[in-house]
Amino acid sequence: MKLKGKPVTKGIAEGEAVVTSMPISFTGGMDPNTGIIREPGHELEGQSVAGKILVFPTGKGSTTGSWQYYAAYKRGNAPVGIINQTVEGVVAVSAIITDTPMVHSLEVNPLDCIETGDFVRIDADHGIVEIEKKNHTE
Amino acid sequence: MDLTTEQQQMQDGKMGSGVAKAMDILLAYGKCYDARRLIPVTSVHIAGNFPVLMEEGVQWLEDLVEGGTKVRVFTTKNPEMYDPEQVDEMKVPASFREMQGRIHDALKKLGVALTYTCHHYLVGNVPRFGDHIAWASSGSQVFANSVIGARSNRDGDHVALAAAITGVIPEWGLHLTENRKADVLIDVAGLDLSGYGPADFKALGWSLGKKVGARIPAFVNLPSDLDIESIKGLLYTLTVTGAAGMIHLVGITPEAPTVEAAFGGSAPPEPVITATQDDVDHAFSEISSATTDKLDLVIFGCPQCSIQEVQEIAALLDGKKIHADTQLWICTSRWVKTLCERMGLLDSLSASGVRVVSDVGAADGPHLYLRKQGVRVIAVNSARASYYSHNLFGMQTWFGSTKACVQSAISGRWEGRR
Repeated sequence: MKLKGKPVTKGIAEGEAVVTSMPISFTGGMDPNTGIIREPGHELEGQSVAGKILVFPTGKGSTTGSWQYYAAYKRGNAPVGIINQTVEGVVAVSAIITDTPMVHSLEVNPLDCIETGDFVRIDADHGIVEIEKKNHTE
Repeated sequence: MDLTTEQQQMQDGKMGSGVAKAMDILLAYGKCYDARRLIPVTSVHIAGNFPVLMEEGVQWLEDLVEGGTKVRVFTTKNPEMYDPEQVDEMKVPASFREMQGRIHDALKKLGVALTYTCHHYLVGNVPRFGDHIAWASSGSQVFANSVIGARSNRDGDHVALAAAITGVIPEWGLHLTENRKADVLIDVAGLDLSGYGPADFKALGWSLGKKVGARIPAFVNLPSDLDIESIKGLLYTLTVTGAAGMIHLVGITPEAPTVEAAFGGSAPPEPVITATQDDVDHAFSEISSATTDKLDLVIFGCPQCSIQEVQEIAALLDGKKIHADTQLWICTSRWVKTLCERMGLLDSLSASGVRVVSDVGAADGPHLYLRKQGVRVIAVNSARASYYSHNLFGMQTWFGSTKACVQSAISGRWEGRR
């Protein structure tokens, strides 16, 4: 499946998707030392997003999140790509300062068509997301 | 986005790599929100300290400054993590001081006014009505939009720093008149506000924040002569439980002389949000998180205490000594501390056992080392401080009026509402 969206940054990223229907705060919500989501009660609590394509509706929480995301990135614990339903400043700036490929506002809600474990490729140069379902048998 | 010749030169790196980096951030950020142009800012305020920057963020700042990057717009800095004049007696770890010192040095090179205060609008960073500004501090950002009528989005440090370095910001959100209109009416006519002080307005703000969410509310039936501490209490607390960037107080906010003006000429939509005294009472108990009455610390200054608040605390103490097992801290700016010294307040407060601490705020900095010193149960007159001290630093917190906090410091036990 190929979807068109709006790019925030440039570049290409691919990897396994981690998907949540809950917004994410990078300050307090994600441990920069591990890439593990640590917000109590979050759908992804205890799961690492390091090296993944992180798919979530939008950002939330402290505007200091871009500092925490940058530290996670430098420590090798950040996602390799980001897909958001709605763009939000803290997440966008995090992607901008780490050159992380990021797209938002896809023609279809990404939460409806991407599942955790799917293989996803983000082409932020052209604003294109390609999804290969994990149980793909073609 | 349409760029002027100068903006194009900045993007092309003709004014240095730091300026080019700042332009990259602003252009990519502006594109997210379909901004059509970059507009001049007159004032910037930045916030980050070592615990959120971490060593990588400190390095990012140092890289930005390398090559002689300077701010082009007057820029102030939020509190830091300790009072440099009391650093040894507070046992701030050396590694921590080193990292915070590197941030200090980088900001100094950048030309930032090192105010270390969150009441920057009391010490010289005063925008005018209608000015476009970038303030990276949610409480004062709402104050600027709602009380002064200056225009700021809820920008983070990276965007605010980029605005300071380039002098411009993407035109979107609350910079545009059409986005400043109220979405929802809050009618407080059901409350008897005659006996309300700042703590009551904080509890009211707390109870309303969740109902408001990220919408822009307009309050009606607030007294138009409401004192500034109560206004600050209401606004700052609404940004803790909610995410409003602009709050119209009809009769107080410059853009809201009437309800119609607040809603941009149209009638307020239904439903209207209301509040009852039960809601406010419930908020008082919800803000407090403590179960133990014996107090280790009473701490004022979130936001940092104004000179008026220090005078009020001194008057309430009236020369009495605080309890031997309880500390009382007043967190403020260096300006106010200097004023306290000149006015003899520092001596009288010190005789009562009070410590006046400058350059830090009561919600974050001190708790890093206070916990190591065994402080667990604290009392505050700030709902915001209660929230952050409890959630970020695991403190047990009591919340109440300034008077209740001072009485509790004297007896060593919580004397306020529960």
